[in-house]
Amino acid sequence: MGHLSARALVPSAGGRALLEALTFDAAPGEFVAVVGPNGVGKTTLLRTLAGVTRPAAGTACLDGVATAAMRSRERARALALLVGDGDAVDTLSVRDAVTVGRYPHRAWWDWGIRDEDAGAVDGALGATGLQPLADRPLSTLSSGERARAWIAIALAQEARTLLLDEPTSHLDVRHAQETLQLLRGLADGGATIVAVLHDLNEASAYADRVALLGPGRMLSYDAPRVALAPGVLQAAYGVAFDVVDAPTGARLICARRA
Amino acid sequence: MSPRGGLRRAAVLIALAAVALLALVLGIAFGAVALPLGAVVHVLLHPRDGGDASTIVWALRVPRVCIAACVGSALAIAGFLLQGMLRNPLVDPFLTGISAGAAAAIALGVALGVTAAVLPALGFVAGLLTALVVAALARRGRGLDAERLILAGVSLSALFSAIVALALTRLARGGSDEILAWLAGSLAGRGYAELAWTAPYALAGLVLALACVPALNALRLGTQLAGAVGVDVALAQWMLLAAATMLTASAVALSGIVGFVGLIVPHLARRLVGSDARVALPASALLGIALVAAADTAGRALLPPSEIPLGVLLAFIGVPTFLFLYLRPPGSARLWGT
Repeated sequence: MGHLSARALVPSAGGRALLEALTFDAAPGEFVAVVGPNGVGKTTLLRTLAGVTRPAAGTACLDGVATAAMRSRERARALALLVGDGDAVDTLSVRDAVTVGRYPHRAWWDWGIRDEDAGAVDGALGATGLQPLADRPLSTLSSGERARAWIAIALAQEARTLLLDEPTSHLDVRHAQETLQLLRGLADGGATIVAVLHDLNEASAYADRVALLGPGRMLSYDAPRVALAPGVLQAAYGVAFDVVDAPTGARLICARRA
Repeated sequence: MSPRGGLRRAAVLIALAAVALLALVLGIAFGAVALPLGAVVHVLLHPRDGGDASTIVWALRVPRVCIAACVGSALAIAGFLLQGMLRNPLVDPFLTGISAGAAAAIALGVALGVTAAVLPALGFVAGLLTALVVAALARRGRGLDAERLILAGVSLSALFSAIVALALTRLARGGSDEILAWLAGSLAGRGYAELAWTAPYALAGLVLALACVPALNALRLGTQLAGAVGVDVALAQWMLLAAATMLTASAVALSGIVGFVGLIVPHLARRLVGSDARVALPASALLGIALVAAADTAGRALLPPSEIPLGVLLAFIGVPTFLFLYLRPPGSARLWGT
């Protein structure tokens, strides 16, 4: 459960193909990071894999079923798509917002919150450290706290496949590490994680494989050591990189000063 | 919701239900003709006794508070649905052009000498048609675009207001009085007949609204997120708009243009119980009933035998209350309830 695959997929936005045909797959237990420069099509790739954006060619499948052809509630039970929150400032409380993640588990007209729903919401609030803020309106949260609330909504869906668009971009170092550790833990528990990340060191430290997108095509889809090598990174970003092995065993990736 | 928050919300809902009930009882107890309270109670308990008191209570006051309840809850729920769906706290149910379309049709109807009994139905149909045109203009893909909906509603409303103004300036004095009575909003002269034929539409709108409650919470967080958790966004938008339209058109047919309820009541409800539609929608309905019933009773009882139009009285009470709640100096209140 949770095998995501696409062959000859051409992600496109507004009728314009963004990337050359690419092959993508992610297996249960795997944490895949998608990295690349701004505007290259990372979010579109994620949305195309989730089946909410139509590709120019190819099909994205979850366990052999085209995600674009799945019914929306059925898809939301199998696959959680965390989209950027935009300007979604609302007066809904954090707990009520996270409860929205339970929508696909009930009939669409059903108001009820069953024990399993409350349990999933509590679990998601706990995992994202939002329990103390549960009764606060979303509009009073900081952008980092709101980003965690959005992650909690995806967690409350209890889907086995999670596609996350920049889950750490508004977070401080500690919360970013906790979030990545949480995703790593979900993957180790058998979930399929695909996350767009901007921090190359986060991708290097936590991901099993990295999809590096460059202008117009996917440049590499491999283990971090290969996909985040200086040469290919320079091809993607147009900036020179130094990669250093730290004494702790971590690899540090730094852009060289222009 | 947390157990404590849940209890608090339930307590507020029960209190609101009590207030709404009290407002309805007051509406039966008081009116232009002063009846002793004992007589009202006696007549209520013995509907077959007959007499002047029985006629006043059963033929005038009871249908009137029922209509007040219907209008108040319909407008409040419609406002709550549209504010949540369009994610805009300034939206009121008349924004979709329903009231302006109804008013224009009624003004033309009066100008052409249509008999008064047909006017509510004429307003109802014109309101629905206007909402349909606005929705057609606001379409984007399979769904609706919030900005386009607001723009179309405001533009069409301006056009219809011009038609009303034209009818008013061209008409003899008698006709313009009738139009003005509609514009000011009033429950005077409505009875069981109007209630009987609008109630099915209002009820259909209510059922549709209740079914959309889970989707409404998701839509508050944006159409993208709602889609991601499995909401059929386009379908939910059409259902919400249909529900709000049926509720609003029923209210307009019953009462003319009663402004402000659909704007202010959802704000008050969210302030009291938070934004979760499962609680805020019933709270809006109860507050709407209480507000309209109380204002209508005051309008009848304050200056007998003349009546203060409901819409006028509501604006006199509502606007200062609203301004007090929302424009207090910063720091004295937390601004939530948008």
